[in-house]
Amino acid sequence: MVLESIRFRTRFVIINNIVNVLAISITVAGKVGLEMGLSSGSNASEAVKLCVFDLRRGQNEGQELDKILFFYPADLPFTTQLSVIGLSEGLITFTRIFSPEAACDVIEAEMHSHVFYEAEPDIWMVMVVEKNKESEAIWRIDALRRVLKEIHTLFVMFHGSVRELVDKEPTGGLVRTHLYYFIMDYLSDFFIGKKLHLPNFRDSLKERGTVQMLTVGREVAIDVQSLVRVLESCAGNSKCYSLTMFQDLLVSATLSPDDTVSLFTYAVLRLTPQALSSGVSSWSYLRKGNTACNTSAGAVMANSCPSVDQYYNSGDTSPVGNRSYPVVRPLQNDKWSKGKDGFLVTDIWGAEFGSSIPTSPTIWLKQTEEKMYLCAYQLRSLTVILLIPASSVINGEQGIAMVKQQILENASLKMFKVEEKLSRGWGGENAYHVSGYRYLLVDGDRCVSRASPPGKVTTLTKDSLVALSKLREEVDSERIRANSDGLGHEKDLEICIRAKNNAWLIARLTRGKELYMVLEKANETLLYASDAVMKFSDRYCNGAFSLE
Amino acid sequence: MKEKNSATASVLKRILVNCSAQAKQYGSCVAARVPEVERDMCLKEFLVLKNCMRNVLQGKEHVGMSGKASASNHPGFSVSDALSHVYIQYPPLRCTLTGTKSFLYDDGNKLLLGLTSDRVFSWKTAPYNPHVAPSSDPLCEGPVLSIRYSLDLKLLAIQRSNYEVQIWNKETGDTISQKCRSESESILGFFWADCPTCDIVFVKTSGLDFYSYNPELKSLHLVETKKLNVSWYIYTHESRLVLLASGMQCKSFTGYQLSLAGIIRLPRFEITMAKSEANNKPILAAEDVHIITVYGRIYCLQFDRAAMLLHSYRFYRDAVVQQGSLPIYSNRIAVSVVDNILLVHQVDAKVVIIYDMFAESRTPISAPLPLLLRGFSRASESKELSDPELIIYGDDWSFLVPDLICDVANGYLWKIHLDLEAISASSSDTPSVLEFLQRRKLEANKAKQLCLEITRTLILERRSLPVVARAIDVLITTYSQAIKTGSYQKRTNTEDASPSGVSNLKSPNTEVDESSRVDASGIKQESARGIESESSNRSTISASVSDGSVSFETKKMTSHNLDSSSGKTEGGYMVEPEASGAQVDASIVQSQILGPGSNALNANASEQLESQVSSAAISPADLYRFVFAAIEEEMAGDATYLVSIIVEFLRSASLEKLKVDPNIYVLIVQLLAREERYEELVLFVLNKIIDPSKEVAMQLIESGHQNVQTRKLGLDMLRELSLHHDYVLLLVQDRYYLEALRYARKNKVNTVRPSLFLEAAHASNDSQHLAAVLRFFSDFIPGFKNTSEHNSYCRIVADMNSSIAT
Repeated sequence: MVLESIRFRTRFVIINNIVNVLAISITVAGKVGLEMGLSSGSNASEAVKLCVFDLRRGQNEGQELDKILFFYPADLPFTTQLSVIGLSEGLITFTRIFSPEAACDVIEAEMHSHVFYEAEPDIWMVMVVEKNKESEAIWRIDALRRVLKEIHTLFVMFHGSVRELVDKEPTGGLVRTHLYYFIMDYLSDFFIGKKLHLPNFRDSLKERGTVQMLTVGREVAIDVQSLVRVLESCAGNSKCYSLTMFQDLLVSATLSPDDTVSLFTYAVLRLTPQALSSGVSSWSYLRKGNTACNTSAGAVMANSCPSVDQYYNSGDTSPVGNRSYPVVRPLQNDKWSKGKDGFLVTDIWGAEFGSSIPTSPTIWLKQTEEKMYLCAYQLRSLTVILLIPASSVINGEQGIAMVKQQILENASLKMFKVEEKLSRGWGGENAYHVSGYRYLLVDGDRCVSRASPPGKVTTLTKDSLVALSKLREEVDSERIRANSDGLGHEKDLEICIRAKNNAWLIARLTRGKELYMVLEKANETLLYASDAVMKFSDRYCNGAFSLE
Repeated sequence: MKEKNSATASVLKRILVNCSAQAKQYGSCVAARVPEVERDMCLKEFLVLKNCMRNVLQGKEHVGMSGKASASNHPGFSVSDALSHVYIQYPPLRCTLTGTKSFLYDDGNKLLLGLTSDRVFSWKTAPYNPHVAPSSDPLCEGPVLSIRYSLDLKLLAIQRSNYEVQIWNKETGDTISQKCRSESESILGFFWADCPTCDIVFVKTSGLDFYSYNPELKSLHLVETKKLNVSWYIYTHESRLVLLASGMQCKSFTGYQLSLAGIIRLPRFEITMAKSEANNKPILAAEDVHIITVYGRIYCLQFDRAAMLLHSYRFYRDAVVQQGSLPIYSNRIAVSVVDNILLVHQVDAKVVIIYDMFAESRTPISAPLPLLLRGFSRASESKELSDPELIIYGDDWSFLVPDLICDVANGYLWKIHLDLEAISASSSDTPSVLEFLQRRKLEANKAKQLCLEITRTLILERRSLPVVARAIDVLITTYSQAIKTGSYQKRTNTEDASPSGVSNLKSPNTEVDESSRVDASGIKQESARGIESESSNRSTISASVSDGSVSFETKKMTSHNLDSSSGKTEGGYMVEPEASGAQVDASIVQSQILGPGSNALNANASEQLESQVSSAAISPADLYRFVFAAIEEEMAGDATYLVSIIVEFLRSASLEKLKVDPNIYVLIVQLLAREERYEELVLFVLNKIIDPSKEVAMQLIESGHQNVQTRKLGLDMLRELSLHHDYVLLLVQDRYYLEALRYARKNKVNTVRPSLFLEAAHASNDSQHLAAVLRFFSDFIPGFKNTSEHNSYCRIVADMNSSIAT
């Protein structure tokens, strides 16, 4: 027993070593040609590859293409696509020998990193990024994996699981179309010009897949809760959920943490006043309102995906007919707008037959696997999202309209008051800046994080950020190791590093909470740095990190 | 409840069968005017229908109404238990003595006086007790026009004729005779006053004479004379106001108030009367004018027979302002005031309409309904055969100020009661019902219980959130008002305060309370007045409406200021009075200051003295105990709804800065955990909606068996509350023994037994950890090395190490 656990604990080390050997041996054998992607590395757009594939498909020789559900960039030749997927599959199969439960996490090759994420059983997402010390291409693997995870959770929220779509239409046309539009729409936010900018070391003081919360006083909090209760009672007796946001910060949510994160992410991307007005989402300073991708996406699709066309043509039994899968594209840009009555409207979900009234959006909840109508109301900086169980709304749009009417009647005054109070107490975008500190605070249990404002983080030197990225990488692997130990016992951890530029980098983990900190203008001594953490913890974290 | 409903239904069915014609008429009348629905718009038809209903009820013996004392059908009685808001309770106060010639009412002392040929019997009517025994004094032969005891009951004044009043000293037996000075004037009446300058006032056709009584000289001494022609006058002791009518039509009025502060002259005012014919000049009669006192305000009501309207005038110090008119449906009316509610008896129609003048509203509280005789049964009737026929609104009824009825023919004295239950059941607008009940003082406890019951029912019936929220708002704001004005006090408290000062304490409090309530009604223009701007948050009753006036009592103003400042010094959260000595002190100080000043045109103290001071206000603690805790189990299936209600309750309380019972937070935690709404629970705790306390923390930890996160919240709360011992103990329990040790060392916790740590470390099967723990205690606890525990664990560590090595 003891021996086995040791083997598991060292699993990742072994894999890392083996992979290096493997990579070489495979290249030597020339069977897959691992370097083919690298040889054409001069093309900037190919610095990133992203694919989704299903290991249960295309089992037979000659049908390998069937595995591919999505590939970016789509215009890569099939042979290249197949080689990437073939390598990935090979590694997964190989590592499963050692660890059937959790196979490969990452391959670190000399020039590339391959990030693996098993979104659903046998549905894998793999991202290949180029390493380049000179440019900005310094990655933290967990940050990249969180991008994959985010794509998947959002996809599931809108379309249900990938496996379900695959099963629905065995030719794969349905799922390919959905994944294609969805991921391309998602990636459009990461494009600067023609280049994909994924989160790199500069985003070390950020945690994707978490929610940022607004801190409110007791009185306002009670008002908000009162509003939430009234809202959720607007649809009669059915159990509704709600999400209340101010600017792009969460005020209150009654959903499970997972669902809250997904819906919050979507709201920040497309629904908040900032997202509506400028198309620039505030949390990602990388995104510069580039929407060119959308228009180009169709073109790319048309000329680069013969495989997809091929499947369309083969599906002549499909009642939908040629290439006309009705696709809902929730991440499409500039599709949401604020209606006269304050409710947000979109035609993404199409319209009912014979009417111009847009269909109400629906999403799937992860926790309860329920289909919910999404009803969003916006008043100045306040965004309120109400989720109504689709099963409880009998007559569709009419029912939703009635609920909306109820909201206007019962809750509009409360919303007005809450908005007013929140605006009065709102400290601006630098509200959570603590001078002297650059920090990231993550509560893993609740999926909540708070960080220094992006504008303040940019003042840090590259050295500090790169070092912090490394530190976090270290903490990530430590955490994974602890998790694989099982037992659910959360270990306390503290790391203090003096970087090349004399900045102190600190990581502290305690009982599910994480604190990362960069102190550039810190004094010489470790004692000083430790003191600074203590002060911060006492003042801003209720003493959660001041155990020593 | 159900049983009663079905009984009512069957009665209604019979009524509808028998009175279909009348019902149809009433229905068509309503239908004809339906777009503009008004109250009482088809009253005539309604009364016809009502008469018919009454006959139907009387035609049947015992209509089978369940509950309450059985409604017997004595002829001439309107008996319907369910349909009445005002009742008189059987048995009455029987003032039947043989040889009683007449009854007179001394409203200064609240005595009903019965005259026989040689004695005067007096029954105390306040506090009302139907079995009170009369006391008597001898009376000389001769005619008696009116008779009143002095306010200290030592003197008895008897008006013998239009020219003579005799004053008889009970102790010495001396008699003073006071006569008119000339034949040109006559005495209309007299009354005793408690004003500092005069003791008795004679109202004569030529004006007022103010006399003071000199006990040493045993004589009256003329203080002041006011000359004016008086046709008739009215006076009520509770208002201390005398109204003198003059002029051809007797519609020109002059008023004087004889308060503790002195004699205040009110501005002269004219009453306008509708003319039935062009040349007809109606003469106003004394019985058509009434002085009433509600909520400490004084009104004059005038029955305009031609217009069939009851006009109301409100008295301010330097103005008399007409307030509006109430419709009248009878040629004979009477007016009573019960617990600040105005009752207009439509004597001919045998119904009573009730109004709450609080918000200056002219709409009746409910539909006209008959006056009910309660507790009268055939059984009791047969037992006392002497009982003569009882006729509701009989011709012999005289209505005494404020809430008594004297049945002169039978010598019965009835006290009028409000049926708060019936009134509150007759309206579906719960928040306003609650407001109404919260204003009740006479049966404060009953009103309070009703309020709690109504609130409970609201929640149990799952009424919509806004409705319940408004109801809770009403209760919380009235409580907060009551606390600010100091009128919310437990009875024990007032009794503890010097017994001699009780009277002094009680009355002003109620006064202040009322004034603040006036403020609450939103008469905002008053506060704009310069002199009052200082205490604009609590404008007094006395301020004027439109044409400007000054406040009545500067003393009163200062006391208000003092009151508010004492509220300020307390700052932050208001504490319930019983919990804070300061608050009680403040109210005592305030009462002392108010004492002499509580007499303006406002209600007089003596009335309120008798009623219990406790108000209907409900503290948040009571709300928790009698509402939330009481219904928690019944609401088990719908915890989410109950949480919503509690959130509204917390919102209301925080708005008024009231502290709530910590148990309510425990309840929230239980409810949310039961529904597995852990995410909301986190929000509640982090946003401090749930006040941190040890109880809450322990509940979180308990509920956290299902949800680790909730348990962590509880632990964090313990840490933040610096409950080090519990925190360390729980950390060890959760097998975080190393962290616990570190924390224990940092915060110097030495109350947790080392064995707990050692056991936990041992259980983790990690020899290094166990050794570390052992080492810790050896180093930090002196003498630990010598304990048997140390030795045994040393052996264990050694064993573990050897087993690994092999």
